[in-house]
Amino acid sequence: MLDFVVIFTKGGVVLWHSNASGNSFASCINSLIRGVILEERNTEAKYYEEDHLAVQFKLDNELDLVYAAIFQKVIKLNYLDGFLADMQAAFKEKYGDIRLGDDYDFDREYRRVLSAAEEASAKQVKAPKTMRSYNESQKSKKTVASMIQDDKKPVEKRVNIQEAPPPSKSQPSSPPTGSPMDKIIMEKRRKLREKLTPTKKTSPSDSKSSKPEKAGKKPRVWDLGGNSKDAALLDRSRDSPDDVQYQNINSELVGTMQGVIRDLDVESEDEADNEDASSEGEAEEQVQSKKGKRGGLLSYFKGIVGAKTMSLADLQPALEKMRDHLISKNVASEIAAKLCDSVAASLDGKQMGTFDSIASQVKEALTESLVRILSPKRRIDIIRDALESKRNGRPYTIIFCGVNGVGKSTNLAKICFWLIENDFNVLIAACDTFRAGAVEQLRTHTRHLNALHPAAKHDGRNMVQLYEKGYGKDAAGIAMEAIKFAHDTRVDVVLVDTAGRMQDNEPLMRSLSKLIKVNNPDLVLFVGEALVGNEAVDQLVKFNQSLADYSSNENPHIIDGIVLTKFDTIDDKVGAAISMTYITGQPIVFVGTGQTYADLKAINVNAVVNSLMK
Amino acid sequence: MVLADLGRKITTALHSLSKATVINEEALNSMLKEICAALLEADVNIRLVKQLRENVRAVIDFDEMAGGLNKRRMIQSAVFKELVKLVDPGVKPYQPIKGKANVVMFVGLQGSGKTTTCTKLAYHYQKRNWKSCLVCADTFRAGAYDQVKQNATKARIPFYGSYTEIDPVVIAQDGVDMFKREGFEMIIVDTSGRHKQEESLFEEMLAVSNAVSPDNIIFVMDATIGQACEAQAKAFKDKVDIGSVIITKLDGHAKGGGALSAVAATQSPIIFIGTGEHIDDLEPFKTKPFVSKLLGMGDIEGLIDKVNELKLDGNDELLEKIKHGHFTIRDMYEQFQNIMKMGPFSQFMNMIPGFSQDFMTKGGEQESMARVKRMMTMMDSMSDNELDNRDGAKLFSKQPNRCVRVAQGAGVMEREVKELIAHYTKFSAVVKKMGGVKGLFKQGDMTKNVNPTQMAKLNQQIAKMIDPRMLQQMGGVGGIQNMMRQLQQGAAGGLGGLGNLMSGFGGK
Repeated sequence: MLDFVVIFTKGGVVLWHSNASGNSFASCINSLIRGVILEERNTEAKYYEEDHLAVQFKLDNELDLVYAAIFQKVIKLNYLDGFLADMQAAFKEKYGDIRLGDDYDFDREYRRVLSAAEEASAKQVKAPKTMRSYNESQKSKKTVASMIQDDKKPVEKRVNIQEAPPPSKSQPSSPPTGSPMDKIIMEKRRKLREKLTPTKKTSPSDSKSSKPEKAGKKPRVWDLGGNSKDAALLDRSRDSPDDVQYQNINSELVGTMQGVIRDLDVESEDEADNEDASSEGEAEEQVQSKKGKRGGLLSYFKGIVGAKTMSLADLQPALEKMRDHLISKNVASEIAAKLCDSVAASLDGKQMGTFDSIASQVKEALTESLVRILSPKRRIDIIRDALESKRNGRPYTIIFCGVNGVGKSTNLAKICFWLIENDFNVLIAACDTFRAGAVEQLRTHTRHLNALHPAAKHDGRNMVQLYEKGYGKDAAGIAMEAIKFAHDTRVDVVLVDTAGRMQDNEPLMRSLSKLIKVNNPDLVLFVGEALVGNEAVDQLVKFNQSLADYSSNENPHIIDGIVLTKFDTIDDKVGAAISMTYITGQPIVFVGTGQTYADLKAINVNAVVNSLMK
Repeated sequence: MVLADLGRKITTALHSLSKATVINEEALNSMLKEICAALLEADVNIRLVKQLRENVRAVIDFDEMAGGLNKRRMIQSAVFKELVKLVDPGVKPYQPIKGKANVVMFVGLQGSGKTTTCTKLAYHYQKRNWKSCLVCADTFRAGAYDQVKQNATKARIPFYGSYTEIDPVVIAQDGVDMFKREGFEMIIVDTSGRHKQEESLFEEMLAVSNAVSPDNIIFVMDATIGQACEAQAKAFKDKVDIGSVIITKLDGHAKGGGALSAVAATQSPIIFIGTGEHIDDLEPFKTKPFVSKLLGMGDIEGLIDKVNELKLDGNDELLEKIKHGHFTIRDMYEQFQNIMKMGPFSQFMNMIPGFSQDFMTKGGEQESMARVKRMMTMMDSMSDNELDNRDGAKLFSKQPNRCVRVAQGAGVMEREVKELIAHYTKFSAVVKKMGGVKGLFKQGDMTKNVNPTQMAKLNQQIAKMIDPRMLQQMGGVGGIQNMMRQLQQGAAGGLGGLGNLMSGFGGK
């Protein structure tokens, strides 16, 4: 199938060739040399076309040889690359170490390489299809015929001169001794021999570089999958965490939180509300007296002795007004309705005094009810309980839980400051392993608190330590390890900070329940903000329900107390305190009123109720 | 979805109107009382609730009305309009301009979720090929810069901050200037939380605002806040020029009504709502679709907008394959990639009628997303031959060793690979059947082009594939047909949504 195969030097000397069809291919080879090799168009394809002929060629830079095969363009030969490579290897093996001689007998190797390549190609084509046997036999016949022809015909030798000789000048080989062409060939070979001799000595054998492997799959870049390796690229800051300088110690805070926490001061509002309420009562009173007059003589005497009885219809307008008032003060609407129903039930059928009005009666009854709700049924005294645990040789454990963004970590730091001021050693367990920056936040607080109470003043011991295991870990396990660490190092109190979570997120609520069940803390504090509205009811109901349902205990540990935060943001809309206390029956243990360590107060029931009823 | 409780109560009240035999003032008052109670329970400001009641009453004039149907529709329409008015101040928010530096400053109360929302917003724009960055000007709260750093690292967003500089004005100025020089398009400045009782911090906020001259100041408001919200929002508005509002923590059963008062107080529109603590839990807010979703009407238009917004390429090719009944594992793989681009499942599911209430909790959604990721990891472990094979399931069943290799490569158990193959088998069976239905993908009305018998069979086939609980939620086979018809009409030929809708079920 190959019409013409030739091996020649880059200088233009033909070393060996095989012509299968007898035609002249000098013009084709000359075009190849002129158009590709001389113009440095050594493309990767190594493929060249002219008219109906195609040339596949290969360069051997070590020996400065060119291997070329000419065939009909319409025939698709898929083994040419491998064939030329094999031919190069065979030629190098036979003549690579020998100085250039006068004659190169390469026919036998050529036939062997060609038949091997053709057989391999036939096998490859035969594998998927079974209809190629006829073609295969044709190939075999052709090969045999080609071999026979090569034996019979004398080997033609030709030269390709760079000066582009016309095709007619090519002749069959003439007698060796008398031909001037032979002289020219011998002269060029001698020059080539001289040229190659020093190159041969110095050139090392080129190791064939294997084809670069096909590009594999790129590793997936998950969305939101950035890690610390990416941080170096993204960080545009000029300083690093090592550059942190401790801020000025606010030493004025030291000593302010000793003893019992001071009571909360609720801002007093305008006096106008009182005037409105009293004028409203007066108006109702006038209406009442008018009705009495029209009732006749007996009604007149009844009114004098103050025997008027209150009924539900009389109470309804005042209660509606009071309910709206409570809702505007941020009491949950459901709880406001229940409170008004309770007041109605307690006032129905009651005798009204001579100088009383319905509005004042309702207000007074509601005030008593609110005071009773806010007053704790049981007293939580952390100082006393912690001292008792200290005597028993185990740490007192408090777990803080709540929804996102209510200030659990900030208020944990405040409570920690309060405990330090009362001479307790504290360990903070960083069990918020989800939110970004949570561990660093606690570390910063720990550093600040130790700066306020340096170890030098406490027998060389840090009053507060941080126990943390980074992010993505199991919170219950970290808390368990922290409590064990506290027990071993005789720390007095362990404060466990947890991740904020929505009350509807079941996996996270299960995790919290597990944390509490496994670690069996002394106190579970729910941290809620005073800004929250009706959501407070849902939050507390579901937190308690989750702690009860998921604990698989007969006596599950639910919320023991409430920390009410951000109290300074609500002015007089203090209804959240009522909502939370009403729904849980647990006391408000602490009230947070700001972001410094001294902004921690105890609730003042009377002040809150007065503010609410204004 | 957001405000699920409120939506249910208002819907129940409106339905009670449909059941009444006579529409008179008494029925109207009773319905309005229920709606107002629901709004109060959702922490809507008490003045706004009274105002809504008066406005609805003013619109309805019983003397001039004749027919009962007209009255019902008019009342429902009046309630709808008043609810829209409640959440829409009538002001257009600032629209960021691509190719130019847009400086956005975040302000809000402590713990409202500003830092998380900053990262969400930067990520939102980054996914839309904006050059986004973060500047942390919160030097007050402990650990604030570390929080920004970790969030930004996770989302691969460039960030600037400082551990040594304690003046937020300096940090904001330096950060914004640097990012402007580097050609960033969305520069988000995170500030400390503060409230109106902290006058010095409010002055600091004004100073930061003057230093960086933001194009938009976004007020971040927590959805759980009660009646104190209005005072705080008004105080912020008085100090700096609030341009937009983002409401956070609206996942689950959050009331959200108090935050709606922020709109009335600041006269600024809500542009986004935050629905979780992960970085992709952020949804654009549009007033009418929100109220429509609130009342259980679904949001097909929003679903199609979301699908079109992602510009999912290759869907034409996918539809061509579906017509011929071809579906390879690589096609399923690409559909999963599109699901990941869509963001959380709950946002997707909320837009389908019937799915708007309580269907998927936040925790369940995370598990689903993790499962999709797991499947994608398995498919990453497959070779090209396996992915592109016309009948991938047969290939794996003939050569079981492939399952072992894929399982080891992906780090999962062999059983999970087999589950994935079974999943693909079920899916490709449906695709083959869909290809057999003539005229299914023609333009125009689906019912005209498709043989009703074949359509019924196809719907039954889809019904078998879907989880029974979800099927019940959608209203059975009829619900599927209605949904597809709505998709057909709403999409007006945008068939890409259909392919993704199918894959959405497959991802389950």
